[in-house]
Amino acid sequence: MSAVDLLAAELVEPARDIKLNLQSVLTAACSLTPEQRWGTAVAAAVASRNVRLQVAVVADARKEIGPAVVDDAVAAAAVMAMNNVYYRFRHHIGKPSYEDRPARLRMNRLVKPAGSKVNFELFSLAASAVLGCDWCMRAHERVVVEGGVTEEQVHDAIRIAATIQGAAVALEVA
Amino acid sequence: MLSIGDRFPDFKQKAVVSLEKGKEFEDVSSADHPGKWKVVFFWPKDFTFICPTEIAAFGRHNRDFEERDARVLGVSTDNEYVHLAWRKSHPDLKDLPFPMLSDLKRELTGALGIVHPTEGVAMRATFIVDPEGIIRFVSVTDLDVGRNVDEVLRVLDALQTDELCPCNWQKGDKTLEAA
Repeated sequence: MSAVDLLAAELVEPARDIKLNLQSVLTAACSLTPEQRWGTAVAAAVASRNVRLQVAVVADARKEIGPAVVDDAVAAAAVMAMNNVYYRFRHHIGKPSYEDRPARLRMNRLVKPAGSKVNFELFSLAASAVLGCDWCMRAHERVVVEGGVTEEQVHDAIRIAATIQGAAVALEVA
Repeated sequence: MLSIGDRFPDFKQKAVVSLEKGKEFEDVSSADHPGKWKVVFFWPKDFTFICPTEIAAFGRHNRDFEERDARVLGVSTDNEYVHLAWRKSHPDLKDLPFPMLSDLKRELTGALGIVHPTEGVAMRATFIVDPEGIIRFVSVTDLDVGRNVDEVLRVLDALQTDELCPCNWQKGDKTLEAA
């Protein structure tokens, strides 16, 4: 049994939908490559802030994809946790006086990911979906689609992100 | 003197990298560590008063520079044996984590235009060089004025901090080119 399966078995009965979705988005045939699927899952799990889920997803991901892609996914989630807050503020307030100021925040990993740039953007999109920044989602969706990822693939990635967040919450049920 | 936007000259010099016997010297060249930033700083003379303070300060911050993908190189026109003797004799320099280069023939200081007109030694100059070999920051002070390593770090941070995230896009912006 995979680490995620073991964790899913702990989910309470009222959250059975989440349990079944978890198995399906991570194992059933889908449009994503293994790197896209597991990188997205890792980014979403880190963004969900449920440590046990993160540990389980990372453990399973390491069996499917290389460590560099796992690192990229962690980096995407960490930087998005920062950028979503920062740019969401700018987007919502919308004053040029803020938009004209340089952020002065390091985000260098975004342009030099260890693996594929477009996959990194996909992980960033998944993290932004979990963390809830409209403008960031729009921007990253545009980049991945322009980079050759199909809308079906984006959709499958978001299904993973949504399910991971559902599982993160369901695991917190006391 | 070379300045912002100029290419930092190629160099290959003897350097003191360790106090361990047999491992004291290595050649250090501009081609080492491709893809890294460089912080190259010069001092006028070994065994003088201001120098060890600021060299030690660069040493204490070496990890901060490494975390920013930057390699610190210290240079004077003294020869490598003088560097070694100074490092051995001064407690603040014993554990120096970066190489001390010897520009004995003043090739690098000459190419940079930082040979002091009357003293003939390197001026107290600091250069930040980007991974493409382009000078992005220069500071030079008179021979007796020390410098502030925190300021060099601050500038390096600022140079490395671009808003690279698509989150920064406004309506209608063109796609950013992937680096």
